[in-house]
Amino acid sequence: MISGISRLGEYEWEVPVGFVAGMRVPGRYFLSEALEKTLEAGAVQQLANVATLPGIIRYSLAMPDIHWGYGFPIGGVAAFDRETGVVSPGGVGFDINCGVRVLGTPLAVTELTRRRELVEALYKSVPTGVGAKGNIRISGKELDGMMTKGAGWAVSQGYGIPEDEERCEEHGRMVQADAGAVSGKAKQRGTPQGGTLGAGNHFLEIQAVKEIFDPMAAEAFGLKPGQVVVMIHCGSRGLGHQTCTDHLKILESAVKRYNIPVPDRQLACAPIESPEGKAYFSAMAAAANYAWANRQMIMHAVRRVFETMYGIEYESMHHIYDVAHNVAKMEEHMVDGKSVSACVHRKGATRAFGPGHPDLPPVFSSTGQPVIIPGSMGTSSYLLRGTQAAMERTFGSTCHGAGRVLSRSAAKKNISGSAVRNNLAKEGIIVCAPNDSAIAEEAPDAYKPSSEVVRVVDAIGLSRLVARFEPLGVIKG
Amino acid sequence: MSFVELPHTADVRIRVTSVSLEGIFSEAALAMMGIMYGRTDPGSVERTITLESDSPEDLLMDFLSELLFVSEVDGLVFSSFVVTISGNSLTARLIGEPFDTAKHRGGTEIKGVSYSGLRILKEDDGYVLDILFDV
Repeated sequence: MISGISRLGEYEWEVPVGFVAGMRVPGRYFLSEALEKTLEAGAVQQLANVATLPGIIRYSLAMPDIHWGYGFPIGGVAAFDRETGVVSPGGVGFDINCGVRVLGTPLAVTELTRRRELVEALYKSVPTGVGAKGNIRISGKELDGMMTKGAGWAVSQGYGIPEDEERCEEHGRMVQADAGAVSGKAKQRGTPQGGTLGAGNHFLEIQAVKEIFDPMAAEAFGLKPGQVVVMIHCGSRGLGHQTCTDHLKILESAVKRYNIPVPDRQLACAPIESPEGKAYFSAMAAAANYAWANRQMIMHAVRRVFETMYGIEYESMHHIYDVAHNVAKMEEHMVDGKSVSACVHRKGATRAFGPGHPDLPPVFSSTGQPVIIPGSMGTSSYLLRGTQAAMERTFGSTCHGAGRVLSRSAAKKNISGSAVRNNLAKEGIIVCAPNDSAIAEEAPDAYKPSSEVVRVVDAIGLSRLVARFEPLGVIKG
Repeated sequence: MSFVELPHTADVRIRVTSVSLEGIFSEAALAMMGIMYGRTDPGSVERTITLESDSPEDLLMDFLSELLFVSEVDGLVFSSFVVTISGNSLTARLIGEPFDTAKHRGGTEIKGVSYSGLRILKEDDGYVLDILFDV
């Protein structure tokens, strides 16, 4: 165990005030003993750094997929009082609204013939990798539509059906978005990239519903055992990356102006209600909306491929849900019996609102919000549901994924891309990727087991397991 | 290449060494192109970046962020860099070739350049830079 940290319970650790100079609140993270073995000192340091920021409420938190990032740790959650707190791109990341969505199909695994052909057709229909351009031409006005209306813009253009929108966190649109706060450079990068997957750990996967843990919730979400689903993991592309870069620079000056000492320059921030804070938040919201529109456009391309190959109707493929796992949001939370208006940062963490939350559509009012946890390539992904315990303990948040244990170069030294491809093929999983090194970097052994991460959040009650999906085909970014 | 990868699980963190400050900038730029595109070859397309910043670290951060922007928007893979630094201002000539799907898909996307752990140290025999790219 890292010295100076105390264990509070089977799955909970505390980083005391004083671990890093200037901490205003303690840090808390959730882990199992098995996961604790791979915890990096750098991640704990970053968790403690976040606790120094003004207006932080209760704790600097991290979920069981905590690992070393930049600014906040990955898996980090922090809520800041809207009147006294700050907003920081270090708590969101470069890939604003990187997130995941799941599309249900009416097909059973047994009906999924011509799998290789399907994976190849999807690989052709969804541009992936470095330098990829979208198949849909976007004008300046349309780009503004993506940034202000999000998923709704895509639906209005015919890239979806109205029910898709309510099946998104925030209904696929942050209303605070201001396209005017997004720079011309960010817009230039975003224009040709609508409907592209990107690279790195982004993916599009064909999966089968392998196990159901909670039949009632699964039914409410529209899932059946043996059903084929498609998972899409990507973000706001160059538009979001540039927005982070631009505002980081502005906020770097703001910390001096507002005299906010930060232990890591990536934690550059400004008071939430300051001009700089508002500008970042509204630009971030615009980039988040772009990401929702982007995932909606990708889902449209996927539906078209299934429609053509299997003769099934577009409308029979229901959107299950879409979550953001790199974002900051204005939310109301109960703190010490009082309702507090807070800016909640989730950096590699997922919103997990519990049953009855007013922001959820009626279809999820008794189950809580669907939470999508993608596995690493070739391993299981999970669907969970939000809980009241998450509302009370983590500002309605849970984990976001598996979390790396090996660096990308170590992963490549360990195993070649072609070996990973062959191993997956033996399990019946077909992989398409721009290059073999992209496959090696994302090899299953480079990640913590997602099964252990979701076991821990389920055991603590931060979200509850609903279903497990197994991959059948992978398109790597 | 004069860079080595430092341990970091999620992102790419590198150490660049050079006898001169300009050399640090050129090597970091070359490392960035290599990580993104898998390979860099000589070419004849040129671009110029000029900018000013408060410190060598800020200058480097802004230079690499601008390089990332130019490379992506103009679809260019740069292999050679002529950097001049005078006080807080920089001029860099970037030389390379157009992005080619058949050649340049061997790398991974860099989303941004982080301030976390960014430092340039002056040592007896030159300069050492540590920098982290979000990939």
